[in-house]
Amino acid sequence: MASDAPKPPRKLLFAKYFVAMFAAVVVPLLVAGASEAWLGYRDQRARLSELLSLEARLAAAEIQNFLEGISAQLTWMVHLPWSSGADERRRLDGLRLLRQVPSIMSLRLIDGGGKERLFVSRIGLNRVESGEDFASDPSVVGAAGQRVWLGPVTFQGGSEPFMTVAVAGNRSAVGTAVAEVNLKFIWEVISAIRVGRTGEAYVLDRPGRLVAHPDISLVLRADESAVRPLQLLRAAAAAQAGQAIAGRDLDGQMVMAAMATIPMADWSVIAKQPLAEALGPIYGALWRTGILLVASAILAALLAYWLTQRMVGPIRLLEDGVARIGAGEFGHRIHLTTGDELERLAERLNDMAGELALSQERSERIGRLKRFLAPQVAELVDQAGDDRVLDGRRVEVVVVFCDLRGFTAFSARAAPEVIISALSAYYDALDRVIAAHGATLISFLGDGVMVLVNAPVACSDPALRAVTMACEMQAGVRQLLSEWRKAGHELGFGVGLAMGPATVGRIGSEGRFDYTAIGNVVNLAARLCASAKDGEILVDREAAHAVGTAVVLVEQEARALKGFDQRVPVFAVGASPSNAPA
Amino acid sequence: MPVIGYLGPETPERTASRLTAFREGLAEAGYVDGRNVAIISRWADGQYAKLPALARELVANNVTLLVAPGGAEVALAAKSAAGNIPIVFELGGDPVALGLVSSLARPGGTMTGVTSLSVEVSRKRLEFMSELLPTAKLFVVAANPTSPTVNSQLKNLDAAAVALGLELRVVNASRSDEFEGIFTTARSIGAGGVVFTSDPYFAYRSARLAELATRHAVPAITQALDFPVAGGLMSYGGDFRQSHRHTGIYTGRILKGEKPADLPVQRVTKVEFFINLKAAQALGLTVPPSLLSSADVVIE
Repeated sequence: MASDAPKPPRKLLFAKYFVAMFAAVVVPLLVAGASEAWLGYRDQRARLSELLSLEARLAAAEIQNFLEGISAQLTWMVHLPWSSGADERRRLDGLRLLRQVPSIMSLRLIDGGGKERLFVSRIGLNRVESGEDFASDPSVVGAAGQRVWLGPVTFQGGSEPFMTVAVAGNRSAVGTAVAEVNLKFIWEVISAIRVGRTGEAYVLDRPGRLVAHPDISLVLRADESAVRPLQLLRAAAAAQAGQAIAGRDLDGQMVMAAMATIPMADWSVIAKQPLAEALGPIYGALWRTGILLVASAILAALLAYWLTQRMVGPIRLLEDGVARIGAGEFGHRIHLTTGDELERLAERLNDMAGELALSQERSERIGRLKRFLAPQVAELVDQAGDDRVLDGRRVEVVVVFCDLRGFTAFSARAAPEVIISALSAYYDALDRVIAAHGATLISFLGDGVMVLVNAPVACSDPALRAVTMACEMQAGVRQLLSEWRKAGHELGFGVGLAMGPATVGRIGSEGRFDYTAIGNVVNLAARLCASAKDGEILVDREAAHAVGTAVVLVEQEARALKGFDQRVPVFAVGASPSNAPA
Repeated sequence: MPVIGYLGPETPERTASRLTAFREGLAEAGYVDGRNVAIISRWADGQYAKLPALARELVANNVTLLVAPGGAEVALAAKSAAGNIPIVFELGGDPVALGLVSSLARPGGTMTGVTSLSVEVSRKRLEFMSELLPTAKLFVVAANPTSPTVNSQLKNLDAAAVALGLELRVVNASRSDEFEGIFTTARSIGAGGVVFTSDPYFAYRSARLAELATRHAVPAITQALDFPVAGGLMSYGGDFRQSHRHTGIYTGRILKGEKPADLPVQRVTKVEFFINLKAAQALGLTVPPSLLSSADVVIE
């Protein structure tokens, strides 16, 4: 029980507490955080999808408007049939158109016959009635087929994006208006778009050339292969119509993108936002959860540490106390004021130590008694668990005396080993009987023995018990006597018993205690024994009355006994004097 | 702090509006002089021959990049001095033809910038004069023989004259004391008016030219809006505010680490036509509706 190295358990307790607290605090938080993050991510993704699609659609609508605006202006140029001569009014309209629509670099009007009638330009010289044949020009052919024709995007000087827009009148006679449009003007639409903080939009034509981008230099570079990532984004977005998709931007950054088409030109507008920014709120939430987790973990650890310390201190105190009590320091007391079960445990241990102290004191006392008392009495005290049975009192007892007849002569004749062995057998025989009847062997004195019944241990019907015991003693010793006689030793055995009040108790000095009985009854019993012949059991009147008819008792003639003024009535157990051997 | 070397062909006063536009562009790219960028300027005060030396001076000041606004001369002077220092130019004309960059889309070297359409539209100025004065068949073309773009412009004008059925007389002027001769020549040969080629030297001296034109009562058209604003008749040219603003933006982008080789040369989108009706009235001219409807700004 006593442990001198109490370190390992402390750690163990800490680990247990920590794991428990950590799990209790962190696991629910983790689950909550993870689910919140997942739901947030889903919502944000849906919201972003919506936002990006909306921005792309808005930009597409504006660019569509831009192109429709141009074609509407051109339609105005082709609503009247041509006269044969120069048309001054149309020239003015053309000049006005250039002023009103800054993106148109030049305007060419072709009549129904495919001849150029008017050309006005911001850069080149204006021409009137040049009559040049444009009948087979793709723009004229295209406009004749679809009324509004948009040419492919071209890069002037390998850099500046332009496009030809041709519009045919509703009758062939009114001809076709062909405008050269500077697509850099779309930049204003595109650069005005901001998705979130840094999100933006760009426009690709059908073959995948960059038509507009907030960074105009990307457009001016006219490098189709350099914008490959933008084309891939478009391809991915087109595959998931109306949904934002994730992909890589020009610089390899992850972005979310959604697409809308400009039906008139068959171009695509793609709105994109860096993933890191788009999912910013989610990262924010994750960060918050993370910080909360860390804070909770620290709190749990601190709490666990504090609680464990609170536990470990008292537990070590208890451990120490138990070790000391175990080592015999019964006076040790464990002082705990935790107000909980531990305090109660300490109190229990203190009580235990008290009881142990008492019990030890008692066992010491008994041990001491055992040293000084006759073993039989000591044993009795031991059984009783208390030496108070030995305290002096006055009780009704039956005193039994017995001794061997002719022992003095025998002891004078026989060798000491024979004497000792004979006595040993004699005592053995008596002892068994006495023990069997719960009587107390008070003293040996040579061959004489004094036995007390009903003290110090009370019993029922002591007289009968004593008489029965005496009979068995006689029977037991008789066997021995016959053996001894065969060996030539003439020995006999007599018993006397008397009943009456006596003072019983411990007597003696510090060095030696004896338990004995004092009183007339003792003398009477001793005299009766002395008066008994071999094989005879003499009983006084008190005992005889007490026995009644349970045993056959024969009243003998009252005898004069030493120390008794009058003759004492005497009873003998069942047998007549003639039975006794001579 | 990065340092911009600003190579000015004239004086700060003459280029005030252009400087403002440049600073706007620079601010758009996130740079403000004195806060996160320093600007060192050298001014040639119209003596373009000094430009290469001034450019070297700037380079000696360990500038991060050179800004060369106001024409091909400035860009070429900067190129001669800069070595590996990036240059952002602003000019009218074709930078590929001038040998400044290998292509508009991929400049390739240490230079990029903005080009206006002024040089290309010289012929349009002749067209406008002819439209204003339909009876006149002879016009004076004022040219600066020291300008790197003068030959291409004269060729362009000659072709236009043929197309319009006009005759041209070229009068050279490379110093301001030669300006007067342009107008006296116009008057002496009975020319309908003077068409100025695109040239920064002329542009920066619009006020002086306007004054001479008014004094000699000669109709004239230049590239710069400063001319009609100062009382001259007409102007047609690229929007220099736009070109200088873009120059500022490009300067900022290069300061941020982009390479001039990767920045395509930008062309301005806007060409402006100014007419001063008061000047026309003073000259006894009626401006036809075709010109009025083409004009972006009519000064009354």
